[in-house]
Amino acid sequence: MSETTPEAEPRKLAEEARDRVRFEEEALALADQVYRVARRLVSTREEAEDLMQETYARAFRSWRSYQPGTNLRAWLLRILTNLNIDRGRRLQRTPDQQPLEEGDYFLYNKLEESGDTDEERVDRRLSQDDAVVALAEVPHDFRDVIVLVDIGDFTYADAAQILDIPIGTVMSRLHRGRRILKKELAERAVGSRV
Amino acid sequence: MAQGFEADPCAKCEELLQPFLDRELNDAERAEAERHLDGCSYCRKRYRFEEQLRRFVRRAVVEEMSPDLKAKLAALRTPL
Repeated sequence: MSETTPEAEPRKLAEEARDRVRFEEEALALADQVYRVARRLVSTREEAEDLMQETYARAFRSWRSYQPGTNLRAWLLRILTNLNIDRGRRLQRTPDQQPLEEGDYFLYNKLEESGDTDEERVDRRLSQDDAVVALAEVPHDFRDVIVLVDIGDFTYADAAQILDIPIGTVMSRLHRGRRILKKELAERAVGSRV
Repeated sequence: MAQGFEADPCAKCEELLQPFLDRELNDAERAEAERHLDGCSYCRKRYRFEEQLRRFVRRAVVEEMSPDLKAKLAALRTPL
């Protein structure tokens, strides 16, 4: 049957509608995972909810630009992080070069100095709120990478693609961001400025 | 400046902590770190602590989406 027959056009439309519905279902099935990341990229639940709605509205409008078979969760988060940046977040951007010379053993050493030698000290010395507040204190550029890799389970390569930065930058921000996070946690665990 | 395991083994091991846990070390670096960890309880404790800490933070900061938001997202689908 030729493509020029009168039946071809409706069939094409039906196929497209089917693809679109499949896309929307797959995207919605990932919403819980996308939200967990979104929630920690912004400060409040309301912001996260707005961002999710804007993201899904845009994703559903531009579903044709998604290539089936590629990472849909990363595609959705790319839209979400772009929207988040568009909201003017960069105005509050913190420069990369703030002094921080603590090493990676810093938090453990601080706890040890304070006389705590319990192996299970993390849960005992820090509350859930401490972790939430400490993460929120990490400047955006570093936090984005920590959230994508440590909470979203994205690879360095995915995080680089989502944030549109080189993989080396992902690694250095992750490294530095985790050190900042540990310094923030140490302040809460040991109970004084460190 | 980065130094090798010969000069200051625990400092080198500290430097490798994050890529080690992220499984981003090459085979030679990983083997070297493991060899050091086998014989150094100072570093071993700190590596174990870091693993625990990551798990703790991950669990602590997770917040689930509300059913209300889920319904709003579903409503954004294109009408058939």
